[in-house]
Amino acid sequence: MTGRQRLAAAGAALSHQREWFAGTRAEAERGRPLALVNADAPQEIFRAMDVPYVVNQWWASIISAKRMSGRYLEALRGRGLPDDIEQYSALPLAEALAPRADDAPWGGLPRPSLVLAECTGDSMRRMFGLWESELGVPFLPLESAVAENVPTEWWTLMRHDWESAVGPARIDLLEQELRALVPRLEELTGAAYDPDRLAEVMALSNEQAEWNRRTRDLLARAPRCPVPVNDVIPAVMIPQWHRGTRWATSAAENLYREVSALVEKDHAVVEDERRRLMWIGRGLWFDMNFYRSFEESHGAVFVWSMYLALAADAYARYGEDPLRALAARFCAFRDQMYTPPWSVEWYVKEAKEHRVDGVVHLISPDSRSSWFTTHALEAAGVPVLEIRADNADGRSLDPSALHRQVADWIRALP
Amino acid sequence: MAPSDTTHRAAAALRAAHDDPLLHARDWAARGRPVVGYVGADTPVELITAAGALPVRLTGRPGRDTRRARAYLDGAVDPHTVNLLAGLLAPEGPALDLLVLTHDCDASVQLFHTLRELRRIRAEELPPFHFADLLHLPGEATRRYNLRGLRRLADQLGAWRGAALTPAELEEAVAAHNTARAARRELRGRRAAELSGADALRWYTAGTVMPPGLYARTLTEALSAPGTPPPGRPLLLSGSAHDTAAVYDTLEAGGWRVVGDDHDSGDSADQPPVTEPTLEGLAEHYTREVRPATARTARERAGAAAAGVKEGRAEAFLCYCRRHDDAHRWDFPAQRAAAPVPSALLHDQPYGEIDTTGLDALSDRPATEVAS
Repeated sequence: MTGRQRLAAAGAALSHQREWFAGTRAEAERGRPLALVNADAPQEIFRAMDVPYVVNQWWASIISAKRMSGRYLEALRGRGLPDDIEQYSALPLAEALAPRADDAPWGGLPRPSLVLAECTGDSMRRMFGLWESELGVPFLPLESAVAENVPTEWWTLMRHDWESAVGPARIDLLEQELRALVPRLEELTGAAYDPDRLAEVMALSNEQAEWNRRTRDLLARAPRCPVPVNDVIPAVMIPQWHRGTRWATSAAENLYREVSALVEKDHAVVEDERRRLMWIGRGLWFDMNFYRSFEESHGAVFVWSMYLALAADAYARYGEDPLRALAARFCAFRDQMYTPPWSVEWYVKEAKEHRVDGVVHLISPDSRSSWFTTHALEAAGVPVLEIRADNADGRSLDPSALHRQVADWIRALP
Repeated sequence: MAPSDTTHRAAAALRAAHDDPLLHARDWAARGRPVVGYVGADTPVELITAAGALPVRLTGRPGRDTRRARAYLDGAVDPHTVNLLAGLLAPEGPALDLLVLTHDCDASVQLFHTLRELRRIRAEELPPFHFADLLHLPGEATRRYNLRGLRRLADQLGAWRGAALTPAELEEAVAAHNTARAARRELRGRRAAELSGADALRWYTAGTVMPPGLYARTLTEALSAPGTPPPGRPLLLSGSAHDTAAVYDTLEAGGWRVVGDDHDSGDSADQPPVTEPTLEGLAEHYTREVRPATARTARERAGAAAAGVKEGRAEAFLCYCRRHDDAHRWDFPAQRAAAPVPSALLHDQPYGEIDTTGLDALSDRPATEVAS
């Protein structure tokens, strides 16, 4: 059987998110503290303090999906700030600096009480510093440390042996930063940090990661792809931003059970599945239908995006000390997807396990080490199409030209 | 007092070191002593000196063929760093016994990751290298992390040369580099009134490729007689760092005189001395005192712009950003607001070059932005 009906898990996640955001927004407008937190920063600390937070990149994806990125980025430009650097991370700031309008996505992001981000690259600290200097919102920075040497197969170590995967120096650094951060958060929000609550949050988020791992493994093994990737992404990522809640863990379990049932019924996105594709890079938020646009014409289905795979491999951290485990979750998080050898070996592993016929590799302007990713995949016998565009900035590519480019490449696959 | 022959010779020696950055490295190596190249404005050079090696900051060379390096260092990476990689990959590249890289900016991190992966997949012949992950947030956690990193680097250097670094060696190295710092402080104080911007940059740059004691003596001698700067409209320069004077030469040929700069190769090289010749002292120094441009806040850079304009009596402020070294652009509005002179932003500039057409705007208008 085939079909285009939306996954129930995706629909439920999207509904929940709208409802959650409306409630969070209303509470923030009534004066409840709200944090804006970067995607790769330890959000669990807020969960353990019962301080609501919005993930910077999730909100950027909403702005982009509503095709508001161009207008907001112009607001940056109008202030003499760059509108062509790290747009994905800059969009919420751009919105905050833009004139308020009635058509803001989902009513607009309320002014946060604080922003938290790791200082990745050269721009992040400066960009988030503008929340403080331009808008008076306190910015709490965390370091983004680099290891000299790392073991290659991180995905086999991370869940239990993260000390050897990441190395104690980086974990110590973030753990100490978090210990210093807690009193500052308590001061800014009036909330109290509870280590026992963090232990519960970590346990729930680990359970969520296990369900995601089962789902990923199921999809990798399924004879034909049973679910479209643009459904999997929201079904995984929205619960990801609610990590550490019972709702999120249940959502991950529900996704697994739904996918499992579809596999049992031999459901396929494309009845005559001829090409299995992998999408490396961030989601193409301004055109999510892109992922399904080669199904009927080419029998080609995207079976992989990093969102489920990261949810499966990159988050689980077990350990006695929840704060240290949390530090281990995030102090090397970006390396898992962007830094060789971790990134490239993981992509090759995932490509093989998902039996892909080719990889579409989106290279954003701030992508890292993309040559090595492409090289490793091609060395493993996986054809790669590189696309250079910013995933959140609809101005950076022509959708029809992109479609033609990918269609031609699929036709030429061996 | 007219400059003596000795003063002229000292100035020529500094210029020669800038023009041929491996001049002293070759001399050092010819005497059988090791040369350690480094990448990163916050490299703890004292440890390299303490290990008996000459620390030589790697410089790019405008015009070098960078195609192979660009393939590896794909994406938005500063062309200066791509140029450094091209130099390392070239058969005629620097003969280094060891390379040390730091985390002074994202491009240096990308270079390290690229070298590490090239070594792992055995794609290129490379010198041995170490990475010192020195970070710069003000918290105590960062200082402790840096101390750990410095201990590790000291151990690595000890293992590399076959004998641990001793406290006496470290003390001697710190003293030598402190003399160089003292001489650079003098250079900073006098450059605006006595030197062209290009010569000031050359003299700073010489300090990154010469033995520290020799550099201190040479620079002190070069500064022993007051100089007379060439004419030109005083300009304060911010943005990307420069490891050659090419951009300065173009600016000054066009009627400007760079009286100050806040990038990592210019006046920022003016640092206070290391007060305690130990790893703890270096950790304190390299966490709190040696802060690359990327580690300074917009407010700090705006304050530096205001102070720099005042000190150098600058009549204009320019933020020059190379293509893919454009994070400085986040700071420009604050700098522009703080600097009470006409300001301009040039971005997307090529390595070692400047498109000066945008500078016309500095004549009267308060601020403008130009991309090539």
